[in-house]
This record gives sequence, structure tokens and C-alpha cells, in this order.
Amino acid sequence: MSTAAETVAVSAGRAQRTVTVAVAGNPNCGKSTLINGIAGTRLQVGNWPGVTVEKKEAQFSHGGRNIRLVDLPGTYSLSPYTQEEVVARDYLVHERPDVIINVVDATNLERNLYLTIQLLELEIPVVIALNIHDEAERKGYRIDRAALEELLGVKVVPTVATRGEGLSALMEAALAAVGTGRPREVSYGEDIETAARAVLARLQEQHPDLAARYPARWLAFKLMEGDSRVLEETGIAADETLWGDALDHLHQAHDEDLESLMADARYGAAAGLAREVVHKPQVRRQELSEKIDRIALHRFLGIPLFFAAMWLVFKLAFDISTPFVDWIDGVTAGPLSRWTEALLGTLGAPDWVVSLVTEGIIGGVGFVLVFVPVIFAMMFFITFLEASGYMARAAFVMDRAMHTMGLHGKSFIPLLIGFGCNVPAIYATRTLENPRDRVLTSLLIPLMSCGARLPVYVLFAAVFFAESAGTVLWSLYVLGIVLAVVMGIVFKRTLFRGEAPLFIMELPPYRLPTLKSLMIHTWEKGKHFLIKAGTYILAVSVVVWFLLNLPWGVQDRQESLLGRAGQTLAPLFEPLGFGRWEAGSALITGLIAKEIVIGTMGEIYVGAMDEPEDPPPSIGEDLREIGSSFLDAVQAAGANVVSTFGIASMSAEEEESPSGLKQAVAQAFTPLSAYAFMAFVLLYAPCVITAIAMRQELSTWKWVGVAFGYQFALAWTVAFVIYQGGRLLGFA
Amino acid sequence: MSRPLSSLRPGESGRISSMAVTGPLKRRLMDMGVLVGEAVRVEKVAPLGDPIEITVKGYKLSLRKREAEGILVEDAA
Repeated sequence: MSTAAETVAVSAGRAQRTVTVAVAGNPNCGKSTLINGIAGTRLQVGNWPGVTVEKKEAQFSHGGRNIRLVDLPGTYSLSPYTQEEVVARDYLVHERPDVIINVVDATNLERNLYLTIQLLELEIPVVIALNIHDEAERKGYRIDRAALEELLGVKVVPTVATRGEGLSALMEAALAAVGTGRPREVSYGEDIETAARAVLARLQEQHPDLAARYPARWLAFKLMEGDSRVLEETGIAADETLWGDALDHLHQAHDEDLESLMADARYGAAAGLAREVVHKPQVRRQELSEKIDRIALHRFLGIPLFFAAMWLVFKLAFDISTPFVDWIDGVTAGPLSRWTEALLGTLGAPDWVVSLVTEGIIGGVGFVLVFVPVIFAMMFFITFLEASGYMARAAFVMDRAMHTMGLHGKSFIPLLIGFGCNVPAIYATRTLENPRDRVLTSLLIPLMSCGARLPVYVLFAAVFFAESAGTVLWSLYVLGIVLAVVMGIVFKRTLFRGEAPLFIMELPPYRLPTLKSLMIHTWEKGKHFLIKAGTYILAVSVVVWFLLNLPWGVQDRQESLLGRAGQTLAPLFEPLGFGRWEAGSALITGLIAKEIVIGTMGEIYVGAMDEPEDPPPSIGEDLREIGSSFLDAVQAAGANVVSTFGIASMSAEEEESPSGLKQAVAQAFTPLSAYAFMAFVLLYAPCVITAIAMRQELSTWKWVGVAFGYQFALAWTVAFVIYQGGRLLGFA
Repeated sequence: MSRPLSSLRPGESGRISSMAVTGPLKRRLMDMGVLVGEAVRVEKVAPLGDPIEITVKGYKLSLRKREAEGILVEDAA
């Protein structure tokens, strides 16, 4: 008989050990929603080591136990051919979580059980979440849970993740399953099982260490399949006579290779299980998804509808975010800078410190912050497209066109977003599964002319092409697209030669994602951007401040480090028609964001623009102003959504350039060199923030370097052809 | 008579009689339930002529025609 004190000690002992719960399942089975429902904002997002596959984890306690929840990538199988599958498998085999929650889609049990069977082989306790079972019921499916539990020897918990149903029971079942030993074996049929036993026996004899290190039956299966990764890991050669004649019988009895034979057997078992536990109605009704697809994927309507949907998403995202961008810009440039200046003044800080803090640091912070609304809005819509099932349709509709440039159908949407802002476009490449597709798409995104390049075109077009400004603007966008197609084909034949990645993709049923899930995902992305990109951009902003202000006390911009750098670069731009230090300097600062080209030119040509000094408002007035302008922004965002056709946020911003700058530009450039300059600004490099986003998404600086290199070469060549070609044709 | 899955028109269906594919493509197809003996039906061809959408194992799968070339289908009895 145990005393109360002992009980407490035992439960305390139990509570101390952290239980690791891995969550596995097919793509589109509602796994993310389920995880969000269980862990919510406690989720930490990162990457699996060495690959760009997203890793989500959460630590929390449930029923007095500490739990570490690890979300495995969504996979259909545990074969060694995709990054996702390898990551999931390596984790399960080598890290040995205490229990696996296998989320299965109740409306498509057979294909989901194919993965389940593979999970059961790993000798880790499994609990099945029979998800989306409300939809299965609506379809008239009856699923015999008790029979499924009996056949697999694991607990099956019905869940509806979108409504949070069954999640608590699921966690209870998972905790109860810890330490219960291995699940039942699902038979692959007598032939294969006999052979596997023979292989296993020899394995235990000749490689006892391996048999102990791996789940034994699983290892035998993998060796039989000739699984390249396992062969490599174990150091066993494919032709080793380890199993001698054990497999001869199999080879003789079947004319298929063993890998196919086993996949067949596994699906045979899954089909058998599904037959026994799922009772489907005789008459199959046409599903809503099929009705939608009759229009969404229609031969003639499919593409126009896709473009209409994209236009709407794009417009909504930018209409909603623009007022907030302006608000943040106003607050950081106005009150925040003023307060800091005043504060530093009272502390007696020297002028250069004040300038460094307000221009370098607060300027940099403001710069990061203005991206936040755009990124949040864009990520919200991307997540919606993805989670609703439309992203797969978009890929289906666009694949043929994108495939000719070596891309995947899903590449289209990130490229399109690039016209608004390259940064969320880079983040949107996450929707591509294959690393090659992701890299190639990311390399082409900077050729999409983003909103920040527009002010440059607007100024130059107004000065030199007043009559045909619209045509000139339009021609630059087209130039970017044409070059993206050309570069896509070039990359496909050079850096990315070889077999294109597979397309094979499920078209999941349309489902309405939950707001909670959308919010969590959007927040993750936004937070990620703020922390990672924020740090770098701040650093770059400070560096630029020093470039402008060193050597100490420099007055003439031409003598500053930036001016000298511009001067050094000038000869390089001579053949392009703008070999002047002013242009060189502006292009350097324009790396931060291309619109800064205009700001720097303004500063150089007409000097710092002194605004008329109003008596500074009091802090109270400032606060009221910040509050009321925020409300204005909310109102404007709302109004923009209501009248989607109203304010054209993508049209040229009506920022009045000082007339002094226009005159200076008119003298420094000719129409021909101005056009070459615009083309150069369009192409010459990804902006720093885009580059950082690329580094984040592709986990290496290598491709960022490739982007800078090829873009600069491309920009120089194009500008050269425009300028020298134009001169040959007699333009000035 | 068997013909490649890529040549079926929308609405046509059949049973997979053999798979003349190898390597990762084969494994991927099998993992997705595209196996010999399985009933398949071509639902749609994308507006630009490629890829195609099929029903297999009760769900919708899309694949490029090139990927479907090696999948031979015979008319279901």
C-alpha cells in the first residue's frame, strides 16, 4: 500500500520527464489546423537542420505532464525521394519520440492508411486522429472505429480540428499510449513476411548492432526494397549476399521489382483495412469541390478566373496594407524622430549622435516596419489560398506555361506577388515543395518590377517622356517579364540542367480554413521577418549613415565615402550613358530599396530639403495625432476593401518631387540615358531586404550571390544595348 | 488493348495494366496509389493542354502528360 507522500513523489517524477509527441500525416489532412488547435501560439517555427523544410515545435504541459510536440512534414509515404519524407523518417527512426499522433483524413482513409502502415513499423506507440470525420459523416461514410482499433492495435480518436473537437481526448490517448510497446504488425502477405523473417534472422546474425539500432522489421523491409538511404547509412551494399537465397523465391514468384511489390502489398493491406472499416453509401453524389472545379478548371474560363482571383487578392492585400504603411512611415519619420531628438538634446548628446540615432537607427527601424503590413496582408492571403485548396488549382492551370521556363505551376503566384513587393514574394516560394523550384523562382522574382521601383520611373518619365509616360512605364514592366522568361530558360539549361522535378500533386477538396489557423500562420511569418530581417536592415542602415557622414565633418557629398564610391563606380557606367558620381552613389544607396535612388539624388542635387519649421507639437498633440491617424488608416483600409475599384494603390504615388531635382535630372541625363538608367534600376540587384529574405528561405548565401551576380551582368548588358544601340539609331 | 494514360480524354476511364516507369517517378506514383490493377478516370485536361487531372483511389490527382505516358491503361471490362 502506498502512502500519500509516495504518490506525490511518483507523480512528480512522472511530471519531470518530458514526453515527446510527433505528429505525422498526409498533406491536406488537416494536420496544421490540428496542431494549431493543440499548441496555438506556443508553436515555434524553424527549419529542420540542413534543409529548408519547415519545423514546428511546441512545449507545454497537459494533465501535469511536460509535452514537446513536434510537427513532422506532411508526407504520403516514408520513401527516400523527397526532403520532407527523409526528414520525417530520420526523425522517427533516430530520435525515437515517445508516441506518434498520426492524423488521417477520414474522407480518404485508404490512401492515409498507406502512411499509417509505415508508421506502425517503427515500433513506436501510435495514436490515430481520425480527422475531418464530420465531413465523412456528411458524405454518408460510416467508419467502424472499434474495428480499426482492433485491426491495428492502436487507439483511434475522432477529431474535427477546425472546431477543436476531440483534441483534448487525443492528447489523453497519446499520453496513455506512452510506454505501451509496439503496435500490431500489419501483414504484407505470406511471401513477403517469410522473406523478411529470413533477412531479419541473417541480419541479427551478421550485423547484430544494426538490428539493435533500428526497428528490426522496418530495417528488413527497407533492405529488401533497396532503400538507397538506409543502404548508405548502414554501410550494407545493395548486392550483399546478406539474404542469399531468401529473396530468390520472391523474385521467381513475381516479375516485379521488390520495391513495387512491397508498395503493392502495403496498398493491398490499406485497401483491405479500408474495406473492413469504412461503409460508403451506394450512390455517390457529386461533391461540392467537383462542382467548383467544373468552373475553376474550365477549359476557357479557368485562366480568366484565375487572373481575376489573383487580381482580387493582390488588390485587397495592398489596399489593406497601404494605409498602415503610410501611418507607420508618418509616425517613425515624425513624432518618433522628434521625441528622440528632443530626448537626446536634453541629455546633451552631440549632433552626430542625434543624427546617427534619428537617421541611421530610427530610419532603419522605420524601414523594417513599413514592410510589416504588406507582409502580414500578403501572407494572410497566401495562406488562405494554400489552405483552401486553390493553390493546387492555380498550379494546375498555370503549370504548362511555367514549365516552359523550367518552373512549377505554383511558381506563378510568388512571381506575381513580386510586382507588389519582392519580399513577401520570396516568402511565398515556401508553397513550392521542391528545393530546385524554390531556388529558381526566387532567382527570377527580383526581375518583377516592384512598387518601390515605380517612383524612379515616375520621376524620369515625367521629366523626359511627359507625352508617353504611361507607355514607358509599361515597357519597363514588360522588359522585366520578358527577361524573366529568358533567364528562366537560360537557368534551366545551365545551372539547373537535368530532369525537372516531378509535378504529381493532389488536388485536395476545397475547405474553408479557420481564422485562427490563418492568423497563427500569418503571425509566424511576420514575426520571423521582423526579427531576422530587422536586425540586418538596421545594420545596413547604420552602415549607410556612416558612408554618408564619413570622413568626420564632411560637408560636400562628393567627398563623403559614398560620393567617393560613386566616383569609383562612375567609369563602369560610362558606356551606359550615366557615368557620373551622383548616379553611382544613388545606385549604391538604392540597394537598400530602389526608391531611395530618388532620395539620394534629391539630397545630392538639391541638398537636404529643409521643411518649413512649424513649432514642434507637444507630446500630447503627437499622441493624439498618432491615434487619430491610425484610426484614419483603419478606416481607409476598410474603405479600400469596400470599394475595391476605388483607390488605385498600385498607381504612381503622388509624391511631388522638388522641382530642383527635376531640373538637375533634366540636365544630367538625356532621354536615352534616362531610359537606360531606368532599365538598370529595374534589373541591377535584388534590394537588401529581398536578399535577406532569400537567405532566410534558401538557407544559404550562395544563391543570393548568384542573384547579385547575374542581375548586375544582365542590367549592365541591357542598359548597354539600350544606350549604345539607341545612339547608333540616332537617338540622344 | 492498352494505351497510355496520357492519351485518354476527359471522362474516359480504365484499369492500369502496366507501368513502364522507373526510379523516383515510379515510387512516387505508387505512393500516391497509382498501381497496376487500379481503376483510373481522366477528369480534366488543364486549359493549356497539360497537366491532366485523374481520379484514383477515390481522390483527385494531377500529373503532367509526360509523367502519365508510361502508365498503360486498358478499358475496364
